[in-house]
Amino acid sequence: MNLTLVLATLRQRFTSPIRILIVLLFGWMPMIPILMAPRAGFAALGDCYFLALALAAGMIGQDLSSGTLQLLLARPVTRAQYVFSRWGAVAAGTFLITVLQTLVAALIMTLRGAPVPWGGAALLLANSALLALGTAAVMALLSSLATGLGDLGLLFLVFISVQVLEKIGMFKSWEWLVRGAGELLRALKPELDLAPYFHGGPVAWLAVVSYLSTVTLCLGLAVVVMNRRELSYASSGN
Amino acid sequence: MDGIRIESLTKTYRAGQVRALDGVSLEIAPGEVFGIIGPNGAGKTTLLGCLLGFLRPDSGRVSIAGREPDDLAIRAVSGYLPERLTLDRWMTGLDFLAYHHALARLPVAGRAAAVQTALTRVGLDPEAAHRSIRRYSRGMLQRLGLAQALLGRPRYVFLDEPASGVDPAGVVLFRRLLDEVRADGTTVVLNSHQLDQVERVCDRVAFVKQGRIEALETLHAGAAMARVLRVRGPAGTIGEAVPRAALELAAQRAGAELREVSPPLARFAVPDDAGAVRLVQALVAAGVPVAEVTPEEGRLERLFLEDAPPGGPA
Repeated sequence: MNLTLVLATLRQRFTSPIRILIVLLFGWMPMIPILMAPRAGFAALGDCYFLALALAAGMIGQDLSSGTLQLLLARPVTRAQYVFSRWGAVAAGTFLITVLQTLVAALIMTLRGAPVPWGGAALLLANSALLALGTAAVMALLSSLATGLGDLGLLFLVFISVQVLEKIGMFKSWEWLVRGAGELLRALKPELDLAPYFHGGPVAWLAVVSYLSTVTLCLGLAVVVMNRRELSYASSGN
Repeated sequence: MDGIRIESLTKTYRAGQVRALDGVSLEIAPGEVFGIIGPNGAGKTTLLGCLLGFLRPDSGRVSIAGREPDDLAIRAVSGYLPERLTLDRWMTGLDFLAYHHALARLPVAGRAAAVQTALTRVGLDPEAAHRSIRRYSRGMLQRLGLAQALLGRPRYVFLDEPASGVDPAGVVLFRRLLDEVRADGTTVVLNSHQLDQVERVCDRVAFVKQGRIEALETLHAGAAMARVLRVRGPAGTIGEAVPRAALELAAQRAGAELREVSPPLARFAVPDDAGAVRLVQALVAAGVPVAEVTPEEGRLERLFLEDAPPGGPA
């Protein structure tokens, strides 16, 4: 990972007015239920999936379409470093917002006289970190495949297609299709629930392997796609 | 060798239907300022893309100082200015240069000073440097792009249409910068349509057409003989009654160079306008009947005008 790239990505993501607006929307909307029912705990905050999507959208594709990637990769930066830096920055940015969200929620709870479940906060943050890393990995792959914000379109397309497949499987009673579609849906939103661990038990090894393999596969494929990609406007015409 | 070596480079697009480069071979010496010219679609940008390691050739090889073009050690000592300059528009000019300074792995200690020097070097207003790149004019963008390409005094500089969109003062500045870069011993590859600029700054030029190097011209840029004059005499004089030796002697006295005698014409190279005046005076003093003196169009211009350019395939 390249620290300069990570910091630049974070700055880029947090200086886009539209992105800030979306982040504010997804970041602070969950505060309403906390305000209404402060004793409900941190579960009301929900997960950080849409926050991660908002920060990840176009993480590589926008560099591809704008042409800034050429200048960047003319520097001593490998394409793998570039992919990992973008991934790390998006995950870190998402986690940072989640931490802020959690702190604000805790403040609201305190001000409204409700006890702050710090154990719940720790679980929320741990799960959020894993979901942010997973979602950023999926988006890194999709963004390496599509220019601009095409990664969001691809995600939507895959999501709809898999759901249609799942419905077909259910209609035809094809268990294998239903299971396959379910796995694919889980791969689109890689998460690992650490609740068993926080409650003193083990986390299912299958869930751990499944999560890690999805993240690794997505990042690996993103690097392969980027390494194979030719970077010159000449390739489109000259 | 520390220079650039291109061996039998072939590159096609659309599953081989479009042949952008067709067996290009070339050697660029260390410290040389090398120009690439040619009509649109000739393969110039593809060649530059292969030199930068952005494009994978179908066959052939590019090596820079004996390494692959995308070797990080080469990239650490290279600068690049693309033609379609799209910078990170959310940054200020200062941020942008500091960012590229960091990406180039240049020392943090001297970063602020290096960035300021780079800005001054390209004549970018210090106030503008604090502004968002989004608000830069085309010329300012080009200057900023040039500043980032020259950060850290690179050993190899690749410039794709560096003077496009730049005002006349910027063009003069660009030439001065290239002189400085040349004095540093930097190897420069310049892709440009501005033939007069190329003719002024480059040591050698490759004329690329349909993916091949059609001609390789040595220009001696910056050397004494920058212009060529055609001197015509009445029939039976130049090259006949007036022998080549007499023309050579007159040229020598005027500090000019006799290039070619083709009765009734003789071609002389002169350094500048004053040299042209001295040549005409020397010819008249030597008794050469001068009927007409015309400046020759640029040598590179001729390459574009002639179907079969002189010099032959490289």
